[in-house]
Amino acid sequence: MRNGSAAENRPVLSLSKVSKRFGGVVAANEVSFNLYAGEVLGLIGPNGAGKTTLINLITGVTPADEGVITLFERDVTKLPTHTRAKLGIVRTFQHPRILDRCDVYTNLAVGADLASRRRAATRSGRQARLEQLLELAGLDEVNLRDPIDKLSYGQQKLLEVVRAMLSEPVVLLLDEPAAGLNRAEMAHIVKLISLATADKIAVLLIEHAMDLVMSICHRVTVLNFGQQITTGSPAEVQNDPQVIQAYLGGAASAAR
Amino acid sequence: MVNRQINLKNAVFAAFILALCLSVPGFTDSYMLRVFNIAWITCLCVLSNYVLLGMCGQNSFAQAGLWGVGAYITANVVMKLGLPPLVALILAGLGSGFLAFVLGFAFFRLRAYYFTFASVGLMTILNGLFMNWTPYTGGALGISNVPSFSLGSLVVKTEKANYYLIFVVCVIAYLLIKKLYNSALGRSFMAIRDNEMAANCLGINSLLTKSIAFGITGILCGVAGALYAFLSGYLSYQTFTYQQSTMYLIMLMLGGTSAPSGAVIGTMIISLLQEWVRPLQNYMQLFYGLGIVLLMIVQPEGILGGGRALYEKWLSRRKPASTVAQ
Repeated sequence: MRNGSAAENRPVLSLSKVSKRFGGVVAANEVSFNLYAGEVLGLIGPNGAGKTTLINLITGVTPADEGVITLFERDVTKLPTHTRAKLGIVRTFQHPRILDRCDVYTNLAVGADLASRRRAATRSGRQARLEQLLELAGLDEVNLRDPIDKLSYGQQKLLEVVRAMLSEPVVLLLDEPAAGLNRAEMAHIVKLISLATADKIAVLLIEHAMDLVMSICHRVTVLNFGQQITTGSPAEVQNDPQVIQAYLGGAASAAR
Repeated sequence: MVNRQINLKNAVFAAFILALCLSVPGFTDSYMLRVFNIAWITCLCVLSNYVLLGMCGQNSFAQAGLWGVGAYITANVVMKLGLPPLVALILAGLGSGFLAFVLGFAFFRLRAYYFTFASVGLMTILNGLFMNWTPYTGGALGISNVPSFSLGSLVVKTEKANYYLIFVVCVIAYLLIKKLYNSALGRSFMAIRDNEMAANCLGINSLLTKSIAFGITGILCGVAGALYAFLSGYLSYQTFTYQQSTMYLIMLMLGGTSAPSGAVIGTMIISLLQEWVRPLQNYMQLFYGLGIVLLMIVQPEGILGGGRALYEKWLSRRKPASTVAQ
């Protein structure tokens, strides 16, 4: 297994007892995990389990009440969102947040701009990287000068992942990238995530499509009501009685 | 191939517009030329509004105030310090730009439309300063006899000479804004306009970026103020008013906020219209009001957006015909 060797390295991103409350609702209760380079960590849980909140906490969109978030052992808990992005923590959104009055090119270029702003080394020239990503995303036929609303919802979601990858991130946080996509588009998402891991990017993946989670995640952590139930390999998590109870329920037993 | 054709078409069109603009002094009397001169100065302020509102999505009503700051800086630098007009022009741009940039840091801590409220306050304060800060603004009497622009022995005194000076500055500003549009900074403006949270998550610092946009607005308005001071020679607080700022917004809305050419189109139409329908002056405000309401309902993207939509319609009608011909 890949994570066996990855675990020997120091973690890229580390959460230690991170908590967040909204009034009486506990969105995250002492959540802790490590994320390693080249690893895909799946984050699953029922709706309202606090998955998106966790990404908001990591990116600084929502400030954490307690706990420490470190990137390469540097404490980033109190840093503003844009500074964290400049350090290489980049995310996508559940509903794609595209620049709706701009063309496709500008939407992609803002990602590449972040790479230049943080002086990240481009893995292979800028243009080659763009072409490679567009091809993997199945967007190579798209006219870059088209207004963004000519793209379908699925294409916009794929574009958002491409934009995030163009910024040459260290940590990539994907918030339900496959939600609302058809089979073909989902295959493109898998290709993009595979490239990210090959490039040693640490990926945190929130996803409801269980087959996707089980096939590409190296490890999976399960949240329920802000509580971390368990973390383990996909197979372990799938068989954990607590998880089956909380989340997979009937669907999981039916799948097996 | 198609791209090259479009580029050639654009170049021919740009050359035509440029030639038309340069020939204006040839067929206008000095009164009309003054109207054009004021229109181009206004155009700089409306272009600044394009950067702030069109690109960055932040609406300010302080432009006329920043325009005034540029004008008064120019008058003071030339008349009190005795520095050359070119230095005054640069200082006016920088001074007004710096003021806007610094104030931007305070104002943009306010979210959404509260910035607009703050800008209205700034406009009022600036106008109050122009009226009352007598040592530097001449108070209610204003400042008269501001010398003309000159560069060495070359004095830009006539209406015609001023026209070329102002027009050249406008063209430079226009080209720089075009360049800005295609730069990382320009893209960060547009990212903030379209989706501020996405922008932040892509490493864009909202506060700094918006302040820079406001600073650029200040620079453009400051330069416009300097040109106005050189042209008119007389500065009065009654020129740099809130109403003037509103006018800039109306011009931009009419022209369209999607490209800098919208600012130029809107400015020219309203500036010239004001002259042509002078007998109806008393009703102009009414027309503006009704016009803007109608425009927002019928064509929210302004003349530019409407023209583009028509052009695309025409293209799509033409396309099937040409495929048949093949």
